[in-house]
Amino acid sequence: MSSAEVALAAAPEAKHYTGLLDWLTTTDHKKIGLMYLIFSLVNAWVGGLFAGMVRLRLYDPNWNFIKPEFFNQMLTMHATVMIFMVVMPAFVGFGNYLVPLMIGARDMAFPKLNAFSFWMLIPPSLMMYASFFTVGGSAQGGWWSYPPLSGAEFSPGAGESLWCLAIILLGISSIMGAVNFLVTIADMRAPGMGWMQMPLFVWATEITAWLLLLAVPILSGVLVMLLSDRIFHTGFFQPGLGGDPLLYQHLFWFFGHPEVYIMILPAFGIMSHVLPAFAHKPVFGYKGMVYALASIGVLGFMVWAHHMFTSGISPEAQIFFSTTSLIIAVPTGVKVYSWLASMWGGTIDFSAAMKFGLGFIGLFVIGGLNGVVLAIVPFDIAVHNTYFIVAHLHFVLFGGSVMGLMAATYFWFPKMTGRRLSEKLGNWHFWLFFIGFLWVFTPMHILGIEGMPRRVAFYRPEFTDLNRFISLGFLLLLAGGLIFTYNVIHSIRHGEPTPEPDPWKINDVQQSLEWMVPSPPPAWNFDEVPVYEEG
Amino acid sequence: MATESHSAAAPAHAAAAAHADPSAHAPQPSAWPILLALGIGVFATAFFLVATGFNALPLLVLAGILLVLIPALGWATTIAAERRHQDPNYTFAILRRGFLYFLLSEGAIFGSFFAHNLYIRFGHATTWPPLGAPRLETSLPAIGTLLLVLSSFTYHWSHHAFIGGKRALAKNWLLATIILGVVFLAIQGYDWGFLKAFDKFTYSQGVFGSQFYWMTGFHGLHVCVGLLFLVLVYWRMERGEMNQTYHFSLTAAEYYWHFVDIVWIFLFFVIYLL
Repeated sequence: MSSAEVALAAAPEAKHYTGLLDWLTTTDHKKIGLMYLIFSLVNAWVGGLFAGMVRLRLYDPNWNFIKPEFFNQMLTMHATVMIFMVVMPAFVGFGNYLVPLMIGARDMAFPKLNAFSFWMLIPPSLMMYASFFTVGGSAQGGWWSYPPLSGAEFSPGAGESLWCLAIILLGISSIMGAVNFLVTIADMRAPGMGWMQMPLFVWATEITAWLLLLAVPILSGVLVMLLSDRIFHTGFFQPGLGGDPLLYQHLFWFFGHPEVYIMILPAFGIMSHVLPAFAHKPVFGYKGMVYALASIGVLGFMVWAHHMFTSGISPEAQIFFSTTSLIIAVPTGVKVYSWLASMWGGTIDFSAAMKFGLGFIGLFVIGGLNGVVLAIVPFDIAVHNTYFIVAHLHFVLFGGSVMGLMAATYFWFPKMTGRRLSEKLGNWHFWLFFIGFLWVFTPMHILGIEGMPRRVAFYRPEFTDLNRFISLGFLLLLAGGLIFTYNVIHSIRHGEPTPEPDPWKINDVQQSLEWMVPSPPPAWNFDEVPVYEEG
Repeated sequence: MATESHSAAAPAHAAAAAHADPSAHAPQPSAWPILLALGIGVFATAFFLVATGFNALPLLVLAGILLVLIPALGWATTIAAERRHQDPNYTFAILRRGFLYFLLSEGAIFGSFFAHNLYIRFGHATTWPPLGAPRLETSLPAIGTLLLVLSSFTYHWSHHAFIGGKRALAKNWLLATIILGVVFLAIQGYDWGFLKAFDKFTYSQGVFGSQFYWMTGFHGLHVCVGLLFLVLVYWRMERGEMNQTYHFSLTAAEYYWHFVDIVWIFLFFVIYLL
């Protein structure tokens, strides 16, 4: 191609909208990132209140104003909302805001596709919430939605079908977002910036995007089949027609386990920025961290059946999936030790972001160790489908992902808004979340080992005390959430101004480009695109 | 500016900026993304109402289709216009990478159907094809397969001719590709009709029928989208909107068409031959 001779047309006059129209039509990765984060915060309240309803029912199952059917809806929608409409969009939001800044790009590779990925969240969310108003209410089959429970026979209402359709549509958003991140990171890095010079959050986003690109379509495919079984009475998962419900579990978890890493790898990336920053040191073991991220991503596709040890898979398969699951502890351990080494000998500043970062390490290591024992088949069979699993998944998803998100919010809020979140309120927020979290989820280990099944609106009388104790702990988390939300809303207008590029004074130890532009950055990010020297 | 004041960091800054006014690099606002998302939402809702037996307003279905097609076309036009003042090689490279990654995810969706088929066949079913399912006639689909493979070649020749500056030839090969695609679809439609009318083979009588109709149907849907794509490329050739430098739609449609072809070869092997 002889492109060099092609005369480029002059750029047209830049269009400028203001107010609401500006937000509806923006293609600026920073505004889109902020919209993702707002979307996520709003839905966190909905999903959190759903969890409150679950705990209210379990405070005393004799109070029947929350009916078991409604309890099932709350349980299903709590998980669905938290996974697909809170944690995933929140990480995509941070990725959107930060990745172009961190790699020295003026925007994402496809700014309009980026806007589309965000707006594609709205119709399925409305569909999801609208399903409460259909006959029979929303889906009740849990976020895993196993047939035959989720089939037409046992879930006859429209709720389950709407759930499938909404998740398929959310998948479009995720896949398009993944394509955009992958191309942005591959082709938009500042001149001279090599792959091994990218900040670790960018690496975490890269690996996450690969997982999204390859795992989410499997979920879309399997839910198309499930929806077709429900609406068109096909036989994909219907034993009477030659289908196999166990196959649904295989396909679902082939997506579902990478999904777990989709929700934790970005938090790993965030930790590699926050922890060294407040120890005032560079990150320790950069290369090891990159290889650990990549190997977790690859291994994530080889462990799915550890969710199915009691579903009737062969002993050989059990041994294989148990072994691969245990191996994941190695790269994860590499990451934890690297974070500890990054802080070793540093002068630690116990800011709110750092507290959440340290809280992350403690809680995530507990959740991770739970995961190691759960990967051992005999133990898993003993506690399968009990509250032990609920404890484990919340230690990694709340103690891991949500704590990571909170650390990221306190850390990058000054960059995004030019103002600091209140450290005093942040301190209250952290201790309420940390103590509230341990209060709520630690006793669930005991309940699980004693044999209380999860997902059930009733329990034996001897579990009453611990369940009441857990339900009371919810109030601490609620208070923490209220303080955090107030802090965000208040600080956007009244927080301590930080217009300087580097409010945390870390540029002498970490060279991450987002701290070299004004706070908030201009629409074009960099007046001059930075150039890296080779090597 | 602030970027220079922290020059202790690794990057050195370019001496000469590519553009005097940095605000010109901020991306342009666009209403197409939000409209397309709205359209997909309306269309999905209409589909859902029809599929679950509600008397959905035909108007709602139509509105959904229009709200998908108009923003999609508007969006494509905007991108083509924007590329005229951007580095063509660079935009070509990123669009190509994005499109290939998108096709990878499409492949994964097909992969879930293939995984379902192979698992049921080798890990679950006692006899295959199951009792009561018809023996699939392979000669007509084999002809369809040959025609579809041929259409990949005719498209390649069209692309080649266009790059070589032979526009009339390129258009003819493209037309041949479109015709071969339509004939392939017609053969598939005939096959479906035959199986339904004479063998009473339906998607709801068993897992084999479900897999057969969904896999060939989902592929057929992709052929339809591919044909729309080819018609768009033909139209743009006709109007002279492409040249040796700006022909991303020609390349993207080629990748898409080859993808549809390759998926069909696997499908033909797994469903009809294996």
